[in-house]
Amino acid sequence: MKDIQNSRKEDGRETSSRGRKDTCWNRKKNHQKQETEEEPDLDDHKLSSEDLEKKYGTNIMMGLSSTRAAELLAHDGPNTLRPPKETPEIVKFLKQMVGGFLVLLWIIVITSWIIYGIEYSVDPSASQDDVYLGAAVGLVIILTGTFAYYQEAKSTNIIASFSKMIPQQALVIRDGEKKTIPSEQLVVGDIVEIKGGDQIPADLRLLSSQGCKVDNSSLTGESEPQSRSCDCTHDNPLETTNIVFYSAACLEGSATGMVINTGDRTVIGQIASLASGVGNEKTPIAIEIEHFVHIVAGVAVTIGFIFFIIAVSMKHPLLDSVIFFVGIMEANVPDCFQATVTMMLTLTAKRMAKKNCLVKNLEAMGTLGSTSIICSDKTGTLTQNRMSVAHLWFDNQIFVADTSEAHTKQTFDQSSGTWTSLAKIIALCNGAEFKPGQQSVPILKKTVMGDASDATLLKFSEVILGDVMEIRKRNRKVVEIPFNSTNKFQLSIHETDDPDDNRFLVVMKGAPERILEKCSTIMINGQEQPLDESSAEAFHTAYMELGGRGERVLGFCPLYLPAEEFPETYSFDIDAMNFPTSSLCFVGLLSLIDPPRSTVPDAITKCRSAGIKVIMVTGDHPITAKAIARSVGIISANSETADDTAKRLNIAVEQVNQRDANAAVVTGTELKRMSSEQLDEILANHSEIVFARMSPQQKLTIVEGCQRLGAVVAVTGDGVNDSPALKKADIGIAMGIAGSDAAKNAADMVLLDDNFASIVTGVEEGRLIFDNLKKSIAYTLTKNVALLCPFLVYFILGVPLPIGPISALLMDLSTDIIPSIALSYEKAESDIMDRKPRHKEDRLVDKALVIYSSLHIGPMQSLGAFAIYLTVYAQAGFKPSTLIGLREEWEDDDVNNLEDDYGQEWTRYQRQYLEWTGYTAYFVAIMVQQLANLIMRKTRRNSIFQQGLFRNKVIWVGLASPIGIALILSCGLGSLPALNFTMLRVHFWFMAVPFAILLWVYEEVRKLLIRLYPGGTYIIKTILFPKFPTCTLIMFSSFGHKLEDSSGNRDIIKNSYKKRKKIV
Amino acid sequence: MVNRKEKKSCGQVVEEWKEFVWNPRTHQFMGRTGSSWAFILLFYFVFYGFLTAMFTLTMWVLLQTVSDHTPKYQDRLATPGLMIRPKTENLDVIVNVSDTESWDQHVQKLNKFLEAYNDSIQAQKNDVCRPGRYYEQPDNGVLNYPKRACQFNRTQLGDCSGLGDPTHYGYSTGQPCVFIKMNRVINFYAGANQSMNVTCAGKRDEDAENLGGFVMFPANGHIDLMYFPYYGKQFHVNYTQPLVAVKFLNVTPNVEVNVECRINAANIATDDERDKFAGRVAFKLRINKT
Repeated sequence: MKDIQNSRKEDGRETSSRGRKDTCWNRKKNHQKQETEEEPDLDDHKLSSEDLEKKYGTNIMMGLSSTRAAELLAHDGPNTLRPPKETPEIVKFLKQMVGGFLVLLWIIVITSWIIYGIEYSVDPSASQDDVYLGAAVGLVIILTGTFAYYQEAKSTNIIASFSKMIPQQALVIRDGEKKTIPSEQLVVGDIVEIKGGDQIPADLRLLSSQGCKVDNSSLTGESEPQSRSCDCTHDNPLETTNIVFYSAACLEGSATGMVINTGDRTVIGQIASLASGVGNEKTPIAIEIEHFVHIVAGVAVTIGFIFFIIAVSMKHPLLDSVIFFVGIMEANVPDCFQATVTMMLTLTAKRMAKKNCLVKNLEAMGTLGSTSIICSDKTGTLTQNRMSVAHLWFDNQIFVADTSEAHTKQTFDQSSGTWTSLAKIIALCNGAEFKPGQQSVPILKKTVMGDASDATLLKFSEVILGDVMEIRKRNRKVVEIPFNSTNKFQLSIHETDDPDDNRFLVVMKGAPERILEKCSTIMINGQEQPLDESSAEAFHTAYMELGGRGERVLGFCPLYLPAEEFPETYSFDIDAMNFPTSSLCFVGLLSLIDPPRSTVPDAITKCRSAGIKVIMVTGDHPITAKAIARSVGIISANSETADDTAKRLNIAVEQVNQRDANAAVVTGTELKRMSSEQLDEILANHSEIVFARMSPQQKLTIVEGCQRLGAVVAVTGDGVNDSPALKKADIGIAMGIAGSDAAKNAADMVLLDDNFASIVTGVEEGRLIFDNLKKSIAYTLTKNVALLCPFLVYFILGVPLPIGPISALLMDLSTDIIPSIALSYEKAESDIMDRKPRHKEDRLVDKALVIYSSLHIGPMQSLGAFAIYLTVYAQAGFKPSTLIGLREEWEDDDVNNLEDDYGQEWTRYQRQYLEWTGYTAYFVAIMVQQLANLIMRKTRRNSIFQQGLFRNKVIWVGLASPIGIALILSCGLGSLPALNFTMLRVHFWFMAVPFAILLWVYEEVRKLLIRLYPGGTYIIKTILFPKFPTCTLIMFSSFGHKLEDSSGNRDIIKNSYKKRKKIV
Repeated sequence: MVNRKEKKSCGQVVEEWKEFVWNPRTHQFMGRTGSSWAFILLFYFVFYGFLTAMFTLTMWVLLQTVSDHTPKYQDRLATPGLMIRPKTENLDVIVNVSDTESWDQHVQKLNKFLEAYNDSIQAQKNDVCRPGRYYEQPDNGVLNYPKRACQFNRTQLGDCSGLGDPTHYGYSTGQPCVFIKMNRVINFYAGANQSMNVTCAGKRDEDAENLGGFVMFPANGHIDLMYFPYYGKQFHVNYTQPLVAVKFLNVTPNVEVNVECRINAANIATDDERDKFAGRVAFKLRINKT
């Protein structure tokens, strides 16, 4: 017990009650209604022990009886958190199998098999093409689905969320005996004893406490240890000191408490269920992909259906019409889209993991890129999460200490005699010690026993003075008074290391005003001088200055006791205080702060230029919060809060126009009083906002407020209490080092190094992936037109089919996946961090992209492919004019002597073989043009030559793979009956090259125009070309709304939107 | 939360649409003004016009590589196919002896088909050639054009010529004639300088039994080399390809008989797995008698 008391030097709100059982004051009713809505509903902290005994049917001395405990256990269930319900693996797998386009593909499979079934029942020798098609599509579905499932299973690292937090054993009093039982077996009413190092096994109402301190950081976010006694100090159960919560850690001291809640009914259990209760918002990229799927599926089904109706009304056989319908759908659906997107995201995720961003939810990556507000924690994310000496004040001067992560020596002026004296006090008046056996560990990484301030000072002096332990040995400590909150100082008496000097040295440190009170002199340049008005004034200025920076300031003073009065044999008694504690000599001040990470200010500047607003949300004190905010740039140097303005103009805060202030510091209590409209106003009108003294629930409120403004919000968090906000946010970011498992579970992303700067890297990657996704979609969409045209022409003009459904499917497989993925390796075109965040209106697939792909590039590609298809037929004997209307005879199995333009006669099989050659030629033509498309899609704005052909090596793989696949299909597997590929004459492989070049030239001209007229002339902006980077363009807005250019002309849009609203 | 939209009443939606279709304030139709629409249409008109021109030009260039007289590639036509006349649905020759209508259309088709082979027309247009050797008419540097064709007289088809035949190619008596013809392939030297003929047989044993006897015209189903090579429609204007007629004499009535005819020629393979009509033709014969 003694040890524990000795180690207690923290300036907490320690009460005088030690080992005494307090009867808490009894107050009922008149609780704030407001509070109970948000906070856990508990009133046990206000009950007296007797009432508690009655309420829970227990006895404080004897505990529960085993039988009663068993009954309660059976009734309430074990004291564990129910893990959130997991979707069964098979359901997840099946979900992947029918997600997105795959539904359409299944329809194709089923239809084609039904068609074959019908054909077979009519004519057993029916062609098996449909069976093959169905099987091939089915295979694609299964491969895509399995792949997507595998990726998801891999990347979703499901941590068994709360299991780690559950303490293993609990010391409980039952039947009047102390027993150790598994904490799962705790029931309400159990009397539990806890001691330093334990995790709290359940929600406890303390009955007695011996210097008990708990770390509630995972619950409330307060990083400093909280003293706990059995006094009810606050109405709010979260604030009162006589309740400790499940999963918090007891740091020191010991206590006895009564279990008042177990398992899911504990406060933390409720937060956990709150977290699972908040639905996961759909990530923007998921919305985008859904949007894309809807567009394409809609187009596919609509076109298919329209032509189906036309076919039927033109008295085509129903079955043919259905086949036709399937063909059109097949051509339209990018079968491998899902797989491609997953793959691209996975690759980016891997890249980000290298940069310390672990992405749990793949789709969250795109969200990161569109992030417009980051709500960041302070401690650990913006700061280093360790105390550090920031400033020193002596000789009437403020010295700045190095607080960077790697500081090895201090550079301030250490020549003054005052410093020598101060350094000695810092080293001596300190209760902290290094844990033994850490010789090889760098000083700053060593583990220290003792409280945080002492540990910091120990490391500080170790860095400056060398071996502190040695110094302490030389100045043997005679006696010490540890820090406590009534004294507010710490004192120790030492022998001096000067053998000639047999005086005792009293050293003292503590709250500066208390220290100053005890001083009569002040040391300036090593000389003691009387403490006069002016030096007291200087002290106060320095104190206010440092305090105003949110730093914890300590004062130091020594006193040499005269040897005559205090001989070596003198026995000091700390209780009697038989030595002077006044008329000391004031030496200096020293201030501590949790310093900002050195990379953070840069990262914040980057956010600024990227149009991202950074909001600090912390449980810390407003002054500290504001100071850190200023030092990292969240509040920039030249902006003021309303308070600052008031101070500068010397007027009352109320007189300051809130809107004039750029920055705002809002405290938890203020926020509580605000309506959501007021909050919205603050969020909208201030560009620099710090929220201080926030409770976990309020974090959620802030996130919701930001989302109401239409922002995409990223939130960082580490504690269990953050999980609702993490879940609610568009992207939740958990801290990898400091983060609790619950936070990591709720988050979409985990920062492995807890560093804010990593978020910015993530944003950059997110923006890049969005750009690259856009590129690959444009790449994929183009080809769809070229695959759709054959069916339309076949149907309308009655020519032999230019490309068969299976070849079209293979087209998707061979030209989609690898080249699209290669595009994801594309480097950023320009500095993407100089752009504003993507507006929500800027879709992954927007009108401009669709129009450009399907009305400009697509038709060009189709024409190229058709030219080659027609050449194949013409060179074999069927000229283009003959082909028109030939379909019926061409496909008639009975016609085995179809005459061509030269009078030659063809059997059905000979024609079919020619048709397959046509498929192959068409396939190759599109493939070649897609290669050009791939190269030109490398950029969206810059010329290919600016981007460089060689920078992205993977693109070469993307270029080579379709060629390779086409060669294999044509030369190797062509003989397989189902694939319908044939050997192709060499020149057909090169025939499409001029068309490919034409495509590329067209695209270069387009990009050139965009670069020449970045703002866009009327023509460029409204008619021809989508604008970069956000290109909500016009053209055929048959179903669309008015044109909204979301990047440059947001104001215009806003106004026009307002106008529209007014009219409505 | 991302796209929280206010619920609009039905009337508002209609109003919005109305305004979208025609906005009297800004004079916008479907979200854009007349000049804007005009510009778009003009752009697409020019753009697609350009594309069409491009395409036409390309096709013109590509078609320059194709000759009018002989196809560039003939690799698909290495083996000429065989076909029957009359051409019937699914190649089923079904004759109801008592039902005139069932075969009348076949007879009509044959009459029309054989018209070109009338002796008078042949004599007028085509040459009498020396049988047993190819009738080659090389260009020798100068286009030798049009090229002459050899006579194939209808009378060579004997009982199947249908000339002064009251039985209508035997269809009225249940002894139908089926004509076998070989597909024309330009510059194909069928038979590789050796004589060739067409043979027919039942596909399976029972078919052979049911098929009974038949006679062929010209005798043995002989096809003479003088009809080859074919020079194409442009050069070989009056070319009439040689025929072989098969008259089935006593097919078992009311039974479906699978008949397969193939050509025996040195350079025509008849065993292609995929192409069922390469050098051969299979058809069904059924004579219904009451």
